Amino acid sequence: MNEHSFIFVPEKLRIRDENKELAIRETALKMLVEQGFDGMSMQKLATAAGVSPATLYIYYKNREDMLNQLFTHVHETFAEVALKNFSPEMSLEQGLWIQWKNRARFITEYPNYFKFFELFRNSPQIDHCKVNMAAFKQSMQLFVKNAIERKELKKMETEVFWSVAYGTFYSLMKFHVQEKSMMNKKFKVTDAIMKQTLKMVVKALKQ
Amino acid sequence: MNQIELSHIHIFKTNINNDVEKQKISTLLNNNPLIEDWSVDCEDVDCVLRVVGSKLLVSDIIKIINQAGFFCVELEG
Repeated sequence: MNEHSFIFVPEKLRIRDENKELAIRETALKMLVEQGFDGMSMQKLATAAGVSPATLYIYYKNREDMLNQLFTHVHETFAEVALKNFSPEMSLEQGLWIQWKNRARFITEYPNYFKFFELFRNSPQIDHCKVNMAAFKQSMQLFVKNAIERKELKKMETEVFWSVAYGTFYSLMKFHVQEKSMMNKKFKVTDAIMKQTLKMVVKALKQ
Repeated sequence: MNQIELSHIHIFKTNINNDVEKQKISTLLNNNPLIEDWSVDCEDVDCVLRVVGSKLLVSDIIKIINQAGFFCVELEG
């Protein structure tokens, strides 16, 4: 605001409405998760989010643009949650524990974000060049590099490390989200279960 | 979300519904120094034209599109 704000009123005043932006984004994510990319249109989204199509087009050029902006937002949120209280300098066990806890929090606090990420991470409609994952990737790579240098971790292909270190975790979380195990009884991931699994994973990864 | 001033974005309903038609307005809009960015969503029922520019007049854009032989009205938010 400056002194002119009181005198000069533009012909058309559009105020960035954070709540409206949020409503559009959350509705779009829900629609994409439930109906897929083919099941959604800008008109359907405008109606569901309670805004005019014109308002929607202020924020997004078209469906592809919307999908890409949403992907960027979801990834930024994921990176923020995943990197909280985490440092690449941590020991293998401590770092993985923080990663598991943070990622579990992302899955439970942002269920639609997680589903969206799973659905579209390999989608050809996402322009991956536009999504900046550098900071997150760098942090994860440094963590592994440090663990190898400390001789805590065996040298192995990144894919092998990921499958053991995170694949196990995501399998466990899948049972948690479905709320049933293979035996069809109610299953919840507790800290104790997570710790027990982590111990085995760390043992397998250690030199 | 890009940080373009929202009041610099103008939204129109048109009947530009394919790439060949889009090509017909492409040169006109690309060569206009007042237009910073533009796009048409041919997939949408309203074939929405989105134009960005701080010094643009809605009436001028409508005139350009009309002269190219297309329908164009501003969509109110």
